[in-house]
Amino acid sequence: MNSLWIVTAFTLRNKLRSKAFIWSTAILAVLLVVGANLPYFLERLNLGGSDEPKPVGYIEGAYPEVVQGLEAFYARQENPDIRLVAIPSGGSPQADEAALRQAVEDKTIKGYILFADRPEIGFPEVIYHSSSLMDFTVAETLRIALESVKAEMVFRNVQLSDAERALLAAPVAVHTLLIDTGEEGGKTAAEQGVAIGLTYAIIILLFMAVTITGQLVATEITAEKSSRVMELLITSVKPLRQMFGKILGTFTAGVIQIGLLVGVFVANLMLPHNRGALEALGIRLDAVEPKLLIFALFFYLTGYFLYATLFAAIGSIVSRTEELGQALSPVMILSIVGFYIAIFGLRNPESPIVVIGSYIPFFTPFLMFERIGLSDPPVWEIALSIGILLASILLFGWLAAKIYRTGVLMYGKRPSIKELVKAMKAYKV
Amino acid sequence: MKPLVIEHIFKQYGEKTAVSDLSFEVSEGEIYGLLGANGAGKTTTMRMILGLIMPDRGEIRYYGKPYGSEQLRMMGYLPEERGLYPKLKVSDQLIYLGQLRGMSRAEADRSLRGWLERFQIEEYYNRKVEELSKGNQQKIQFIAAVIHRPKILILDEAFSGLDPVNVELLKSTVKELRDQGMCMVFSTHRMEHVEELCRNITILDRSKTVLHGSLREIKRRFPQERVVLATEGEVQGLESLPGVRSVLRTEAGYEIRIEREDVAQDILRHAMAQAPVRRFELMEPTLNEIFIKTVGERNE
Repeated sequence: MNSLWIVTAFTLRNKLRSKAFIWSTAILAVLLVVGANLPYFLERLNLGGSDEPKPVGYIEGAYPEVVQGLEAFYARQENPDIRLVAIPSGGSPQADEAALRQAVEDKTIKGYILFADRPEIGFPEVIYHSSSLMDFTVAETLRIALESVKAEMVFRNVQLSDAERALLAAPVAVHTLLIDTGEEGGKTAAEQGVAIGLTYAIIILLFMAVTITGQLVATEITAEKSSRVMELLITSVKPLRQMFGKILGTFTAGVIQIGLLVGVFVANLMLPHNRGALEALGIRLDAVEPKLLIFALFFYLTGYFLYATLFAAIGSIVSRTEELGQALSPVMILSIVGFYIAIFGLRNPESPIVVIGSYIPFFTPFLMFERIGLSDPPVWEIALSIGILLASILLFGWLAAKIYRTGVLMYGKRPSIKELVKAMKAYKV
Repeated sequence: MKPLVIEHIFKQYGEKTAVSDLSFEVSEGEIYGLLGANGAGKTTTMRMILGLIMPDRGEIRYYGKPYGSEQLRMMGYLPEERGLYPKLKVSDQLIYLGQLRGMSRAEADRSLRGWLERFQIEEYYNRKVEELSKGNQQKIQFIAAVIHRPKILILDEAFSGLDPVNVELLKSTVKELRDQGMCMVFSTHRMEHVEELCRNITILDRSKTVLHGSLREIKRRFPQERVVLATEGEVQGLESLPGVRSVLRTEAGYEIRIEREDVAQDILRHAMAQAPVRRFELMEPTLNEIFIKTVGERNE
């Protein structure tokens, strides 16, 4: 058997049998099972809860025309978001507000609306006070309802047919379609939602997989060095084979772990009760493009190898495990920068920083993947960035092998770059 | 053809010379002693023999051939800084090391079991290394160096950290391997081990070879300057004999340092005149003395 495979098999076997690996896989699997079933449970909880219209208070007698219009609007809706509750007026604006606040505290209402006169328009300003911060949907439906009420007030005296009135009352629907120059149609809103969610999930997965497995490589190499078993290893097998065997073995362990976890997650999502829950949230698994998954796999592979070679090189120059964290931080920061640009780019995948970053090999796995997932970069751009990425894997693989060859022989204080270059020359690697 | 020939090798680390013009040969069934103070260039030499670093100049040949992956497999190494995977079972890591040097799994396993049996520690086959005592870890380390039946064995401080019983055990093992034809390079600070095991030696001092050749000849080259004398009664006036440097009284008699070998005869005559002589010996210098004399003087 080739010594590369012996090292790979040995690394893989020890990894798979290590307690840390078994436990982390088990714990993550449990978390994923919970996560996969969460939409279903949330939906079950929702049935009894927040689908009911939200009670919103108003002061009795204020702008009766508007309030009546609102009530009529909500009465026409099948599933109204809001139920208006009249609160007796206290006489003065201060007393009114106090009464409304009291009602919120008594939990008879969840929010309230107040009117401010705007005589120049003839329609009051409406202020919605909400008990929770993230109450955008209620504010949004309130706005739609008020627009409709205003329109009705204006057109009350105009002769309109029923059809015209219905047209007036109907909310405007805007659907965004992603332009795809290659194929017909484009991505629907549902597909876009899935694409954003999936891209987000895969970028997180990529980041974690690359950094965690990469760090494992570095930790193991430093451990071999500090336990001095390294001296035996480098006299038994060529350092280059040893390094790549280690990288491959850890990679295989990582793939097995991720494969298991994704398998558990998807299997749970496919359970009959979950399918309905996902559809209710607008997530359809069949909307996932296979192209995206293939790119995810490809960028995992390339990103891992690029970072793993760097991690291996750093692991080889550190003699003690305690010093490793500090030595790794430049590479960690590099990966974190790439990750955060990707998170920033989720809302704006074609911004210059994302586009430029997608050509920098350390960011390509995150950023090019994001662009492919969320926008539609030309094929030549994808090819160029992948080309740069592959070339730099070769370059850094070669460089890392040289550093590794030298680093494993150097004990004591962590060498500076100058010392390292000097040693590389001296050892003739 | 000699298993190991080292010809005029040089190694420079930046400004510092680590090894300069070192040459020696090791035959089959020979243990070659490589001696020197700390920092003399022993480890660099061993690393060059192991192919970890290349000499700047000069040549190392293994059975007539230059270094290659074949050579890597025929060599065994017992590093000065011992190290194994602490958390792995003895069997797992030694079979791995055997496989890395080209053995099949089954072969490596068989060889490992043989060695464990030999050292009477079969029960450690499934134990983690960190659970073993220091002495037993050393034995495992030794097995790691020889599990693949190397033709050339590099032993760096082979017996350090062992109790006398285990030193004897390993020493007899090393001798046995030597008698089976294994070629060994042996480095140590313990001169008595070298005297017992090595035929030829090189003493290095700050990258230079200061002494080189067969142990017996080296010893012959150094004057015999020590006389051991034991008599029935007191011997007076030894100090005042011409050519006597110092006289030390011991339990058994006298230890006298002399300037020239022929002074010894004067001492014998002088002693016989005073009391019956039970023992008289002109001692050859110990390697320890030679080492201190050559390396120590240069360092002054």
